Amino acid sequence: MGFHVDAPGGRLDILHDINLALMPGETLAIIGASGSGKTTLLGLLAGLELPTAGSIQLDGAPLEDLDEDGRAELRRKRVGFVFQSFHLMPSLTARENVMLALEIAGVHAPREPAEAALREVGLDHRLDHYPRQLSGGEQQRVAIARAFAPGPVLLFADEPTGNLDRRTGDQVADLLFRIHRDHGTSLVLVTHDPALAQRCDRTAVITDGRLEMQAEAADPA
Amino acid sequence: MNAWRLSSRLLLRQGRSGALWMLVVGLGVAAAALTAVTLFTDRVGRALERQAGEVLAADLRISSRARPADALAEQAEALGLSTARLLELDTVVYSDTESALFEIKGVGGGYPLRGRLQIADAPGDADRPADGLPGPGEAWIEPRGLRALAVDPGQPIWVGERELVVTRLLTYEPDRGEGPFALAPRLILPLPDLLEAGLLGPGSRARHRLLVAGPADALTDYEQAVRPILDDRTRLTTIRDAENQTSEALDQARRFLAVAALTAVVLAAVAVLLAALRFAEAQRDLVAVLKAFGARGAVIQRAMLLMLFGLVLCAAALGALGGGIGQHLIAEILAGNLQEPLPPVSLAPLPGLAAFTLLLAVGFALPPLAALRHVPPMRILNRSLDQRPRAGALGWLLAVGVALLLPVLQLGQPKLALYVLGGSAVLALALALTAWGAVRITRLLGHRVRGTYRFGLAGLGRRQAMSIVQTTALGLGLMSLLLLMVVRTELIDQWRASLPDDTPDHFMVNIQPDQADALREDLAALGVDGLQVRPMANANLVELTGEDPPENAFTGQVNLSWIDELPPANVIERGRFWSPGATGEISLANRWAERVGVGLGDRLTFDAGGRTFSGEVTSLREVDWGSFNVNFFILVTPEAAGDLPHQYVASFRAPPDRLEALDRIARDRPNVTLLDVGALVDRVFQIIDQVSRAAQVVFAFTLVAGLVVLLAALEATRDQRRSEAALLRTLGAPRRMVRGGLLVEYGVMAVIAAGLAVAGAAMVGGLLAGELFGFDYRPGAGLFVLGFTVSVVLIVGAGWLGNRDVLKTPPVRILRAR
Repeated sequence: MGFHVDAPGGRLDILHDINLALMPGETLAIIGASGSGKTTLLGLLAGLELPTAGSIQLDGAPLEDLDEDGRAELRRKRVGFVFQSFHLMPSLTARENVMLALEIAGVHAPREPAEAALREVGLDHRLDHYPRQLSGGEQQRVAIARAFAPGPVLLFADEPTGNLDRRTGDQVADLLFRIHRDHGTSLVLVTHDPALAQRCDRTAVITDGRLEMQAEAADPA
Repeated sequence: MNAWRLSSRLLLRQGRSGALWMLVVGLGVAAAALTAVTLFTDRVGRALERQAGEVLAADLRISSRARPADALAEQAEALGLSTARLLELDTVVYSDTESALFEIKGVGGGYPLRGRLQIADAPGDADRPADGLPGPGEAWIEPRGLRALAVDPGQPIWVGERELVVTRLLTYEPDRGEGPFALAPRLILPLPDLLEAGLLGPGSRARHRLLVAGPADALTDYEQAVRPILDDRTRLTTIRDAENQTSEALDQARRFLAVAALTAVVLAAVAVLLAALRFAEAQRDLVAVLKAFGARGAVIQRAMLLMLFGLVLCAAALGALGGGIGQHLIAEILAGNLQEPLPPVSLAPLPGLAAFTLLLAVGFALPPLAALRHVPPMRILNRSLDQRPRAGALGWLLAVGVALLLPVLQLGQPKLALYVLGGSAVLALALALTAWGAVRITRLLGHRVRGTYRFGLAGLGRRQAMSIVQTTALGLGLMSLLLLMVVRTELIDQWRASLPDDTPDHFMVNIQPDQADALREDLAALGVDGLQVRPMANANLVELTGEDPPENAFTGQVNLSWIDELPPANVIERGRFWSPGATGEISLANRWAERVGVGLGDRLTFDAGGRTFSGEVTSLREVDWGSFNVNFFILVTPEAAGDLPHQYVASFRAPPDRLEALDRIARDRPNVTLLDVGALVDRVFQIIDQVSRAAQVVFAFTLVAGLVVLLAALEATRDQRRSEAALLRTLGAPRRMVRGGLLVEYGVMAVIAAGLAVAGAAMVGGLLAGELFGFDYRPGAGLFVLGFTVSVVLIVGAGWLGNRDVLKTPPVRILRAR
C-alpha cells in the first residue's frame, strides 16, 4: 500500500510499499521521526483516508470499496480512538462524552455502559465533571473509556501519553494495555516513546515513508 | 522589516480570511446605515434651506384670524415697503363628480413678494416660473388635487359658491407651510374670488396674512413700530422665526431616522469587534515568528494600522454605495409626500462618514490588532507562555466612546443619541439576560436528550457567550423590523376595529344658526347615525376670578359650546354637571383646566365681539378625544346662546351608499364645509405608513448588522466547529448526525431570537397601544408567523451556509490537531 499527495511542487510520496498485517488481539507500535508518515499511516489504517495505491482491509472489509459514510460506519462498529490531545467535548460531562460515542455506535441505553466504562478506568467519582474540571491524566482516561465502551475490535492510539508527565503517562499506558488484555482488543499505537513501544508485540519503524518491522514480542504487562 | 510591506503582505495573504471580510462588512454596514440617513437628511436639509429665505414669500408676515387693519399695510407702504394680502383656509372643493378637502389660498396683487410660483400647463409637463397670478375665475391647483377631483385643466370646479376654471398646475409655492408633509392638496385663486365664495361666516377658521418686504432698515423700523401695537391674536413672523421652524422640522426627521441608524451602528460595532478578535487571534503565531526573527513590536503595530486603514477604505466605499442606495430608497418611498422634489445627493457628507468608519475601526478593531505587538516570541516554543496582557479598561472605553461619538455628532442629536444608546443598552441587556436564561435551559435540556439533539444543544452551551451575543443581536434586529412591518399595521387595524360602529366619520363646520334646523332635518332624512349638532362660539377668555388670565397656547381665542346635559364621551371627574334650566355655570375639560390653572369655584369671563358671558366652574370632565364626537374644552349653560355670536358644528356617520346625497346637501349650503374624517384619517395613516417604510430601509441595515454579528461569531468559532465535526466523524458519526447537530443548534438559536423579537415587539406594541391609542393590543398571527419564518430562514440559512465547509471537514484533521 502507498500514499502520495499532489503538491504544488509536484507529487509528494509519503508512504511506499507498506505491507502490514495485524492479528486479532495483537499490539503494534509505530515509531519514527517527525514527518516520517506515522500519523498518515494511522489515518489510513483507520479508514480516515484512502491509500492512493494498494489496498487496506479492516476486519476483512476492503476500505477502498467503501464510501466515506461506509468507512464511518465501520469505525463506529469496529474501531476506537485515543488522541494525544484527548479531544473531549468541553461542554459535555465525562459521562456524556462516553455516552455520545455509545450513541454514535447505536447503543440505545448508553447511560449504564458509559458509567461502567468510566468505573473501569477509575473515574466513577468524576461522572458529572466537565473536562475543564479534570486533570490531563483523568481526561485521557475518559478518552480511553470513550474509545473502548462501544466494544471495538481495534483500538488506535495516537501518542496517548504525549501530553502527559512521565508518571501519569505510565499510568495511562498501563490502563491501555490492561484494557487491551481484558477486552481482547487489538491495539495500534503511534509513539515517540521507546519504552512504550517495547511493551507492544511488534514495533514498526517508519523511515522516509518505508516500513520496517523491528522487534518481536515483549511482555505487554 | 518594512511596515508597508508587512501590511500589504498581510492583506494579500489574509485576503480570503473570513474574519477580514467580516471586519470590512461590519464597518461597511455601520457606514452604510449612517450614510443613508445622513445623505437623506442632508438633501431634506438643503431643500428646506433653499426654501428658508422665501418660506414666508416675504421678509415679514403678519397673521391673524381677523383681517389685519389697513393701517398696518399703509404704514409699511409709507416706509417704502411692498405689501400683499393673503387669505388661507381649509375647505372642500367640488368638481362635477368628486369632492376633496383642499388647503386654499386667496392671493392678492404682488404675491409672492419673495420667491416665485412654479406652474405647469398639464400633468407631466415641465414646470416653469409663473409670470403672474391666476386671473379672475381661475384656479391653479396641485397635480394631486387634479386627481382627487378627477378633472383636467380647463374644467370647472367649485369653491364655496364660486365657480372657477382650473388653468394651471401649481408645482411650487415658496410659502407652502411648515413641516415636510401636507395632508390636503393646495389651490390658489384670486383673493376677491375667495372673498366672494361665501366661506367666511362668524367663527370661520380662515387665516389672514399681510406680507411685507423691502430694505432691511425699513423692515426693522416697521417691525419696531408695529410690534407694540399688535394685539395678542395677531402674530408677526420674520425670516429668523421661519428658519427656526425649518430647522425644527429637519430635526424631527433626523431624530426619527437617527434612532434606526444608531441601532445598526451599535450592532455592526459588535460584529467588527468579534471579527477583529478572531483575526488577531489567528495572527498570533505569525507575529510570534516575525518577532522571533527580529521584527520590532512597533513595526508590527504600524503594519496593523496600515492594514486596518486599507480595510477602512474598502468599508467606506462599501458604506457609500450601500448608503447611497439606502437614501435613494428612502427618498423614493417618501417622494409622494414630500412637498418639493429633493435636491440631488451632495458628496459633502462623505468625508465625515469616512472619518466615522475610521473611528469605528479605531475604536472596535484597533485594540485587539494593536495588542499583537505584545505577543512574546517565546510563543513559538511554548504557547502557554503567551500571556495576553489585560486590555486597559480605560483605553477600550476611550476608543469605543470616541467611535460612538462621531455618529452622535454626525446626526446632530447628542441628547437623543444618548437616549438611544442607553435605551439600546438596556434593551440589549434585557434581551441578553433572557437569551442567557434560554441558553441555560437548553443546556439543561441537552442532558436529557440523545445523540444529534445533545450534540446540537451542547453546541449552544459550549459557545454560550457567542450564542448569547448572536441571539441578542439578531433578536434586536428582528424586533425592529417586526415592529415596523407587522405591529404597526396590526396596531392601526386593531385601533380602527376598536372604534364603535357608529363612530362619526363626517364633520360639518361653519353652519350658520339659521341653517341648523333645516340641515338637521336633511341629515336625519338621509339616515345618518349618531347625529350631533352643537353650537360653537369663538370667544376670548378675558377674566379669571377677577384677574387677567395667564398667556399660553390654551388661552386667547377659544371655542366653547353650550348644552343642558352631559354629552357622550364625557365623564365628570370632579364637581357635578348642571341640571336642565341652570344658568351661569361652566364645565371644563381636565386638560384645559390644568394647563390654564383653573379649578372648581373659579369664575371665568369670555368675550366675543364685545358681548360677554360669565360663569362659575362647577365641574371638571375627562373627555375621550378619540371618540370622533364633537367635543369642547369649555361647556357653558345654554343661556349663553343669547349672549354670544355663534355657528354650529355637526358630526355623524353617513350611510356609505348616500355619500352623493350628502355632497348635494353640502353643496346647497356653500358656506358649510363638509369634512370626511375617514379620508383624513386614511391620509394620516398613509403618511405614517410611508414614513415607517422609509424607516424600514434603515432598520434593514440593523438586521443586516445582526446577521453580520452571526456570521462574525460563526467565523470566530469555525476552527472549534471543524474540530468537533472531525472528531464526530472519526468516532464514526454519520454525516447526517453532524448536519443534524448544526440544524438543532441554529434552529434553537432561531427560535430563541424569534421568541425574543416577537415578545419584544408585542410588548412595545402593547405599550404604544395603551399609551397612544388607549386600547389593548393583541398580537396577531402575522407577528408570530413572520417573526418565526424570517428568523428561521435567516439564522438557520446563514448558519447552514456559513458551516458548509465544516460539514466537509475530513476526519483525518483530528489526527493533525494538537
